[in-house]
Amino acid sequence: MRTPRLLRPLPLAVAIATVVARAHADSGVGVDTWRANKLDPTGGATIDGCDERGTSWLEAGVHRSPTGNLYACPPPPPVTAGHGEWRTSGVLSIGAVATGGDDGNALWNRYVDWDGGIVLALLAFDAERAADGTYASVRASRVSDDDEYYQAVFGRAGSYKVQAFLRDMPNLVTNTAKPIWNGVGTDHLTLPAGYAAGASSPAAIAALSAATPERTLGVTREKQGLGFSVYLTPQWTAYANATDEQRHGARPFGGPFFFNFPFPDNGGVLETVKPIDDSTVNLEGGFRYAGRVWRMDFGYSGSFYRDRYTRYTYETPFALSPLVPNAVSAPLTTGQFATEPDNDYHNLKAAFTRKLPMNGELSITASGGRMSQDDTLIPPVACQGVFGIGLDGSLQTGPQNPYLYDCANWNTPAALSRKSADMRIDTSLLDARIVLQPATDLTVRGGLRYEREDYRNVYLAYNPLTGQYGYVSENGSQGSVVPGESGIWDPSDPSAITRVRSLPLDMQTTEANIGADWKLGARDTLGATLAFSRYEPTHRERSTVDDGSLKLSWTNRALDWLTLRANVTFLHQDGDRYDYDPYDFTYSIDLPGFVAPPTGVPAHTVDALRKYDVSSRNERKLDFMATFMPREDMTVSASLRGDWSDYDAELGRQGYDTLGATVQWEWQPAPGSNASVYYAYDRSKLRMANINEINDSGSNPSIGGNTYVDIGRWWADDTQRNHNAGVVFAHAFGRVRVDASWNYLYARGTTDYRFASPLALAWADTVIGDGPGGGTFAPMTYRIDSLSIGVRIPLHERVALRVFDVYERGRISDWHYLGFDATHAFDHRVYTDGGPQSYDANLVGLLLDVRL
Amino acid sequence: MTAIERLRRFLFATALAGIPLAHAGNGPVDLRAIDAVHGDAAAGKAKASVCSACHGPLGIAIVPTFPNLAGQKAEYLYWRLVMFKRAGKPESPMTAQAANLDDASMRDLAAYFASLPPAAGTAGTGTMPGAAIYRDGDPAAGVPPCQGCHGADARGRAGADGDPRLRVYPMLRGQHAAYIAQRIKDLAADASPFTSTSHVMAPIARTLDAASVDAIAHWLEAGAP
Repeated sequence: MRTPRLLRPLPLAVAIATVVARAHADSGVGVDTWRANKLDPTGGATIDGCDERGTSWLEAGVHRSPTGNLYACPPPPPVTAGHGEWRTSGVLSIGAVATGGDDGNALWNRYVDWDGGIVLALLAFDAERAADGTYASVRASRVSDDDEYYQAVFGRAGSYKVQAFLRDMPNLVTNTAKPIWNGVGTDHLTLPAGYAAGASSPAAIAALSAATPERTLGVTREKQGLGFSVYLTPQWTAYANATDEQRHGARPFGGPFFFNFPFPDNGGVLETVKPIDDSTVNLEGGFRYAGRVWRMDFGYSGSFYRDRYTRYTYETPFALSPLVPNAVSAPLTTGQFATEPDNDYHNLKAAFTRKLPMNGELSITASGGRMSQDDTLIPPVACQGVFGIGLDGSLQTGPQNPYLYDCANWNTPAALSRKSADMRIDTSLLDARIVLQPATDLTVRGGLRYEREDYRNVYLAYNPLTGQYGYVSENGSQGSVVPGESGIWDPSDPSAITRVRSLPLDMQTTEANIGADWKLGARDTLGATLAFSRYEPTHRERSTVDDGSLKLSWTNRALDWLTLRANVTFLHQDGDRYDYDPYDFTYSIDLPGFVAPPTGVPAHTVDALRKYDVSSRNERKLDFMATFMPREDMTVSASLRGDWSDYDAELGRQGYDTLGATVQWEWQPAPGSNASVYYAYDRSKLRMANINEINDSGSNPSIGGNTYVDIGRWWADDTQRNHNAGVVFAHAFGRVRVDASWNYLYARGTTDYRFASPLALAWADTVIGDGPGGGTFAPMTYRIDSLSIGVRIPLHERVALRVFDVYERGRISDWHYLGFDATHAFDHRVYTDGGPQSYDANLVGLLLDVRL
Repeated sequence: MTAIERLRRFLFATALAGIPLAHAGNGPVDLRAIDAVHGDAAAGKAKASVCSACHGPLGIAIVPTFPNLAGQKAEYLYWRLVMFKRAGKPESPMTAQAANLDDASMRDLAAYFASLPPAAGTAGTGTMPGAAIYRDGDPAAGVPPCQGCHGADARGRAGADGDPRLRVYPMLRGQHAAYIAQRIKDLAADASPFTSTSHVMAPIARTLDAASVDAIAHWLEAGAP
């Protein structure tokens, strides 16, 4: 249940109300300090306009960053009014917006909730008392109930600062959902009256899906926070911040009941709707010291996640049938999913920085953390009666039906080896960095880093009620279709292979780097960095993975109007022997009493496969940037970057290359007048290869053996191309400001594939013939044109009228969602989400800006 | 006339009238983009006799509360005269003097005094208390380094020789300590500085306590560094 808005900050307020006594503001800490929304992403900057006096009283004209880019025009100082010792200023921007066209489209409404009607674009009010530096400010904006923020800050400069905020943000996932279930947004999805769980026909469910009206699914994030900082002495600062974010809503999710494509009128592929109702509290606090020689930071941070639901259940519409003749499947009606477990995170950090001779600095940071979760575990299944297959044609458990199981032994927490998760990961970190400047033109730097993640517990899937091991797969459905594939191992079925243990993935990382920057006179700077990293994971294909890299950089300012920067990086990753199957101990293979099948233990995977994160690879990166200044008020910049990675892998990721280029022209002829044109292009290509197992009981892990026969090989190239362009224009015609922009985004992804034979594919029936083949999936395209224009007309010394219009056109093509025109249900496959849609939408608004 | 038409006429009328915004009022005279000040130094010398009564015959003032003008930047001198002419306070003796000067005379005088050799000062050392403030400022008190605008050698802002816009920052080396102290005090009290450079300096002057002002002034008078 949602807490009334006015009461939401109360728990946090109580939590920290006692700490604000005496104090000082530390500008280095804060609580989500940036508040904005889609109506005004700048958080009020567009109202402020531009100070025609420019950036600095020291020098006229536009100013540039060290890399040569023009700074934006600063906003004018606020108009203040005096009230005794206090001076106040503020702005109220209020008006109305209206949307048209496809304004229900999820992409158009992705992170905004355009209700239409009256909107509070911005209320900002600031008060200052110069005598002692006391200040207070409030900011607020409201587009709709689910899209708003309110913030209040008060404090005294050089003394203390207290801030509080409340923010609601929508996140619309889809507007084309057709969930066939009742109870969307709750933890129990049921089929409508007249549709029997486990006994409905595909035709009836297809008709139900077709008749279900489209609806939106999304999540609203409600966040509130409080924070304060205080100067205990001129050097010591104490700070504390707390936030609480609650999410409410629902989103499309999975719902497995075994394969359907290879088994018509069997199995079940269900896209269900997961309820979202959780809360995350983040806390941080500590002390900072900033002296002339030393800086120190002692801090705690913590995060606490709580989900209203431990699991959610859903009714499955379809019956299952066994693949063996004369057998029967138990009717299954209910599936389940665990939600994210409640979990806690604690971290303590101490950081020390000391100035050194030679304009140097040494920093050492040590931290230790603990991530833990001890949420209640859910039973393996949610069924009633029996599940599995009755080989003798009956649903009576007993020796005659070894693959038929009593739900009562598996649908209770008593079926678990322990009742709660009791899992923990401890983290530790030691980081040291040093910088020295032995000469005015030479800077040297180095760093060492040591980091560990230690898993402190494992879970063994053992059922004390039955003495069996394993976790029932896919809600019992797999074992109700294929005899013996229920996911359960016991001594009476000693050759069953199933997962029985969790996988701890401890990691130790050691890194070292050394580098130098050398100024070759006033025009050129050269840099070099040599870095080495060693990753030592447990239970992975390699126990040691080494990265070595050399980065060279060059900056040139030989010409006043041109800055050139270039970086090139060479990286080589290698490691110790690659063990293609380090996971045996997590399977029943490792249990005492396991008996290998007569044909041997099936290969877990193919031995030529290399997982890309631990694979050997060579990588080269190149970045080239040029900034031209043809005039004092004009900048042209261009960049080119490439990244080429080759993986030593016959199977798996073989290569990943990216190439990008940008060009931009920017002109600021006068304060408040600017124009720019930009274009960016990038492309990436991912090359991969793999092999299908032709004989899934084969024990030979090598290509060409009895499992991975050559005719099962396939290759795929995934190519992505993105174009991004835009034109921005703003100018003041007298007192009337006009701004306009056009932005264009076009993304196109294609997947090319080839295969040695149709047996390389998951569903070979789609291919005609039996020889090698290949093809290309239909391109996935995403094209958005966005045009906006606004006019700001001063009506009075303190009042201005803003009129604006935003038109957006989206053209989306995603083959995953083709064929959903009539229904989202096909055979035993039921999809909820209809996918992203093309749209034409418009927003028009009228705002009155009043300076208070 | 319809209501919409009346609204439209009102909007356009007010927009085109260009009603000034409150913050667009008169600010300081902007010296950030000035041209070089050219004058006839010989003509200026002929007009400088009255100046010498306070500022000395060669621009080196005998009375330390009056500033040395010799070797000062012409642009700085010219704009100080403009200030006295346009906005001088009645109690200042310079107000009456500048009132009758025409623009050409002010340029000539500025050129003349700029052409004279500056005061040498006494022997300053880097260990004097004012040296550190001038060089590094006082970050804890919000005081920026003086050398940023007045040059590491206190002869004016770096690059001033080639850019007239930088010659509105005065040379301070060898200036009388009493004058510098009084000038800083006046700047600190100036609520509406006349020029953009005074607009920059006024808040800095307010950050300096009396001891710092005294230290800086005496170190500059000594001719540091």
